[in-house]
Amino acid sequence: MTHPGLRAALPAAMLSAGLAGGVERCAQRLIQHAARRAPPSLSARLEEEWLADLAARRGLSSLRLAIGCCWAMRIIAHEHTATAVPASACALGNKVMIAGTHHRRSASSHRTTAVLLVICLHAGLIYFLATGLVHRSGTLPPTVIQAGVTHELQPHYQPPPPAAPRLTPTRVEMPEPVFNFDLPADAHPTTDLQVEQPQQPGSTSPPLPARRVPGGPGKGFPNTSDYYPPAAIRLGEKGLVALRVCVDGNGRLSADPTLAHSSGSARLDDGALRLAQAGSGHYRAATDDGRPVDSCFPFLIRFDFKD
Amino acid sequence: MGRADRDVRMSLQTLRVLELFLENPSEQLSGADVQKRSRLASGTLYPILLRLESAGWFVSRWETIDPSSAGRPRRRLYRLTAGGLARASAVFASFGRGVLA
Repeated sequence: MTHPGLRAALPAAMLSAGLAGGVERCAQRLIQHAARRAPPSLSARLEEEWLADLAARRGLSSLRLAIGCCWAMRIIAHEHTATAVPASACALGNKVMIAGTHHRRSASSHRTTAVLLVICLHAGLIYFLATGLVHRSGTLPPTVIQAGVTHELQPHYQPPPPAAPRLTPTRVEMPEPVFNFDLPADAHPTTDLQVEQPQQPGSTSPPLPARRVPGGPGKGFPNTSDYYPPAAIRLGEKGLVALRVCVDGNGRLSADPTLAHSSGSARLDDGALRLAQAGSGHYRAATDDGRPVDSCFPFLIRFDFKD
Repeated sequence: MGRADRDVRMSLQTLRVLELFLENPSEQLSGADVQKRSRLASGTLYPILLRLESAGWFVSRWETIDPSSAGRPRRRLYRLTAGGLARASAVFASFGRGVLA
């Protein structure tokens, strides 16, 4: 009883040996054909020389040698003809005829050589594929397929859901607005206008909402020094006047300003009231959530010299 | 083949063959040996051998063996002639001077 692999390998080996022998025989005939096409003085020698070199080769290597010999024959014949034809032409006219006949014969043999080359290439390709495929099928071990459950599948890991964020209410403290107007010093006495909105615990006004922005003097508000009464300047009067102004959403006075706290000088109080009256239209209105609204707020005006 | 001892058109393949023979000028090599060492294709090598032989640089002779006892056919052996040795040496020496022969 023979091994199944051996039974498969035997035909493959026979096929391989047969193909290899066929390739070598093909190469041998190709060399003989090429040598016969060589110049007569070299034909026998080249055939024996090339066949001797072919004996040292096996398989496709012999085919490569044979194809190379065909190519070599073409070169040798061309060089031999190039050197022989001029001398023959000078000697005898019939020699030229012989040379021309040989050239046509060489041209016709090119087609034969090309056909033989194609045949040999196909034989070599078939040999290569057959030996490669058969060798692979003869050496492959029998395949046994086993199926079974080795372990239970583990459930997919699922990461725990992230903890819910804890939100704590944050109270935003808004700083109290302070407006300072510094006037440049020149030859005339100058005053400083300070508009402050201090925290008044006893105030009767309702507390501003969280997003309430209080009003105040805005862009283009008149300069305090223009309303510093000249008589007060001459007398050297200084002081702080507290007014209460009511402004609409357009920055205009919605009511006449009233004196909330006197400076002790009727001239300074009067100058502050005129200043607040002249600033109508130049107040910055209070806003609720960014929306201008009517509001009333205390307005402090300081009349002072600045050296 | 003639023994004209004339110039041979030099190519890189011809130089490789000459270099191989110059390694041991007295050595006789067959076409298969030269092809194995120089790795030239047979279609290139044999015309070069014949060209060098016809120019007188090489001589060739049949191997003196008994094919039946050796188990293989006799080979054609090539070797450098004295003139070929001098010419080949001059070619490679000219490369040392930077002049192509």
